[in-house]
Amino acid sequence: MSNDEINEEMKELLKQAIAPVKDSELRHDLWPQMLAKLEEQPAIVPAIPWFDWALAALAAGALIFFPGIIPALFYHL
Amino acid sequence: MNQHKYLRAYMAGLVVPTIVLVIGVTAFCIARYGYGFSMPLERVMIFPMAVVPPLWGLWNMLFIASHSRTHLPIGFHGALLPFLLGPLGILLTVALDFQVPGFATHIFPVLAVVGLIAYYLVWKYVVSFLNTVLGLT
Repeated sequence: MSNDEINEEMKELLKQAIAPVKDSELRHDLWPQMLAKLEEQPAIVPAIPWFDWALAALAAGALIFFPGIIPALFYHL
Repeated sequence: MNQHKYLRAYMAGLVVPTIVLVIGVTAFCIARYGYGFSMPLERVMIFPMAVVPPLWGLWNMLFIASHSRTHLPIGFHGALLPFLLGPLGILLTVALDFQVPGFATHIFPVLAVVGLIAYYLVWKYVVSFLNTVLGLT
């Protein structure tokens, strides 16, 4: 028996063993449901208090005026 | 998601210093091989590579373990870490006989303040976010 014949026989056996899937099409579009699910979960955006902004601005200013601290920060961070 | 709480805490703590390390090493390589920067930083590179990331992980584990008792905000908990890392870093530079440039000693007070602010903000927003993502807080 040649390889082609074996392959054909194997295909037939597989077709017999696995029943064809009936009604495989989606009944309706699932994307709107997905969007609704995503909108249910609001993005976690923490409220940043003003003093944290002030601290960040202070640190940024220090980095601009004293760039020599950048390597030391890398060393410790 | 209730399993391996401390492993997750350790991993969440590792993220920031690992990312910073990659950026730092890249900058160092560019400076060294691109611009001929001559300072022997590789001698003290062991500190940010092998000491800082595990300590961040352990510090986050400590936060998770102690938060129910201390109720210390994570930003303040993170801002305490430089008090451990700073002396350790200085000790290592001395032990490895690394010559700290003169300007570094002059800007130390600024560095201390900026370091505390950086640790406070990073722990409050980044590590806290990672802890939330991993279901720790």
